[in-house]
Amino acid sequence: MFHFQKENCRPDGRELSEFRTTTLNIGSISTANGSALVKLGNTTIICGIKAELANPTVEAPGKGYIVPNVDLPPLCSSRFRPGPPGEQAQAASQFIADVIESSELIKAEDLCIERGKLCWVLYCDIMCLDYDGNILDACIIALLAALKNTQLPEVTINKETCAPEVNSEKRRGLTIHKHPVGASFCVFDDSILIVDPTAEEESLSTAQLTVVTDEADRLCSLHKPGGTPLSGEKLQECISRATTRQREIQKLIDKVICSVKTEK
Amino acid sequence: MEVCESSKVSLREFGCEQNLLSRPDGSASFVQGDTSVMAGVYGPAEVKVSKEIYDRATLEVLIQPKVGLPTVRERSQEQCIRETCEASLLLSLHPRSSLTLVLQVLHDDGSLLSCFLNAACMALMDAGLPMSCLFCGVTCAINTDGQIITDPTAAQEKESRALMTFAIDCAKRRVLMSSTKGSFSVHELQQCIAVSQKASEKIFQFYRDSVRRRYSKNL
Amino acid sequence: MQVPELLQRVGQVLLPGDEFRLDQEDNISLTEVSRPSRAVCGPGLRRSGARLLVCKSGVLRHKAPNVFWIDSQQKRYVPAKGETVIGIVTAKAGDIFKVDVGGSEQASLSYLAFEGATKRNRPNVQVGDLVFAQFVVANKDMEPELVCMDSSGRANGMGVFGSGGLLFTVSLGLVRRLLSPLSELRSDLEQLFPCELVVGMNGRLWVRSCSVQQTLIVANLLQSSDSMTAPQRKELFRKVQQGAL
Repeated sequence: MFHFQKENCRPDGRELSEFRTTTLNIGSISTANGSALVKLGNTTIICGIKAELANPTVEAPGKGYIVPNVDLPPLCSSRFRPGPPGEQAQAASQFIADVIESSELIKAEDLCIERGKLCWVLYCDIMCLDYDGNILDACIIALLAALKNTQLPEVTINKETCAPEVNSEKRRGLTIHKHPVGASFCVFDDSILIVDPTAEEESLSTAQLTVVTDEADRLCSLHKPGGTPLSGEKLQECISRATTRQREIQKLIDKVICSVKTEK
Repeated sequence: MEVCESSKVSLREFGCEQNLLSRPDGSASFVQGDTSVMAGVYGPAEVKVSKEIYDRATLEVLIQPKVGLPTVRERSQEQCIRETCEASLLLSLHPRSSLTLVLQVLHDDGSLLSCFLNAACMALMDAGLPMSCLFCGVTCAINTDGQIITDPTAAQEKESRALMTFAIDCAKRRVLMSSTKGSFSVHELQQCIAVSQKASEKIFQFYRDSVRRRYSKNL
Repeated sequence: MQVPELLQRVGQVLLPGDEFRLDQEDNISLTEVSRPSRAVCGPGLRRSGARLLVCKSGVLRHKAPNVFWIDSQQKRYVPAKGETVIGIVTAKAGDIFKVDVGGSEQASLSYLAFEGATKRNRPNVQVGDLVFAQFVVANKDMEPELVCMDSSGRANGMGVFGSGGLLFTVSLGLVRRLLSPLSELRSDLEQLFPCELVVGMNGRLWVRSCSVQQTLIVANLLQSSDSMTAPQRKELFRKVQQGAL
């Protein structure tokens, strides 16, 4: 492994700072309000968005809410066991929730239908179908693409009965304010930095790092859960790689959405 | 208990006591202003066969909130703390054994994650576990005016635009762990890291003073 | 080369991550007969190339000519070869006994490792008995192994404990203080009561005195002197002596 890395080359033929081929398919689940399937090399993540009507919380009467959940089923890798979500799945869910909150990609106010009475809840179920490392990046892409794909029906409140009426004919998309995209890195003994690690590389690394940036080059998250320390220069390197990655992915998402529209 | 006065980089008053519990192999309480955390370490002890790792010790971190059961947030904090501790402990010296670190929140008034990290480090040191370096946690908040506040209170955290917690190692003052909330520019990030590195020096000096106090009896 | 920097810090409190540079002279000089002495690292110190790293918090100690170690207060015992400990027999498994010594793993003790024991003449050891034994194998990769005799096959004070007496635990630091050759604590205690005291390096002490009361007093005194300075302890011992007389 180390021999490979000295030669600026990885077991699968990539350079150290090269991502795997990213493919994106949107609208793959017809029953969901929005969905996307992302493949990052072998890693496959599917994200479905289900919108439900609910009462806003008392603390925030003018806001709807988003509930992300990351599921790592035993299907995707032998390292996961059936049963309640493991630590990695829970940490990933929390990370996605933090990214949504930090980046403000959707304003919670937009999900409100009638103040204090009715709002949308977006359940974002993210499921891993094939685990080959770097699920966080793939999850963020899947989530972003699925949200862009989401169509919500128009809802009006009947003045007499006070019951909500759903007009499925009229649908509109969500307003996506920001486009956060993540880039994950693996550190080997604080000297070698590789981008988009596979599962094998992840298990051999001494530290992992995920940088999430949006189109305005602002950082939404710098998530490094421990591991070997990293110097400031290396960190800067990661951030600049993450910003270029953001451009690439946003272009990809726009392209896919365009192609879907023209098909129709 | 002792007090660390703030001068340039403003930190709240610190307090720490080691070896205050009789059952655990190492224990410490850490106080930052009104935030207070108690930590206990057990180990190296016998390990469950399912969790045994053949070439190093298994470290488990458990966070107990003040009320209720641990949630997903605690899980993700546990992961951050565990991986930070794993990087600084020499786990390969105790293969096939288990280390358990329990962190109990006594009161949360902001900068909780950094308080967890500081309490964990003091407890691990108290347990006499071999460590390659020490680490400390620093929380920075950027408020709406763009000012950086180190070691914020819960109220300051709420008002802030971005919140970052770093774990800094004692050898080269590099970043071991980072966890952020809110959006911020690259420049702000670098400022916060620089401020945290400066603050870490104070915390490490505080560590040294409190350990010295502890050993003053048998010098 | 010797490390003057290290010598200066003797008696001071050091923390993990503290570092010292060793100027190494690996080339053997032909003219000098005596090799330059190198610092020997004891517990809490690690050598990494030309650096000496501290990995435990505690007081740096030095023993002439060049032995250094960190005197730390810890509670959990980690087996070390040659140390004598008090163990509790927890199971009999074929030819060996499993003994709990307070470490991360149970130690094994062969039934042949007692003075005068043969295949025919087995020692009388029951589950729950206390044994005073010495480590012959203790490293991180292997199961620790105890014996109840010295290298010449003599019991030398080791073996199964008789009835009576009291077992209790104290910190490892107190045990080391009790065992040091010029221990003030031990001499203070000797003046107080006549008693039998067995000290295991694993933090376990066993005391037997002429009455149950006196045994309990000794046990409590030792446990409380763990967290006391020398003058405080002397004061306490004086009070007890006055009360007991």
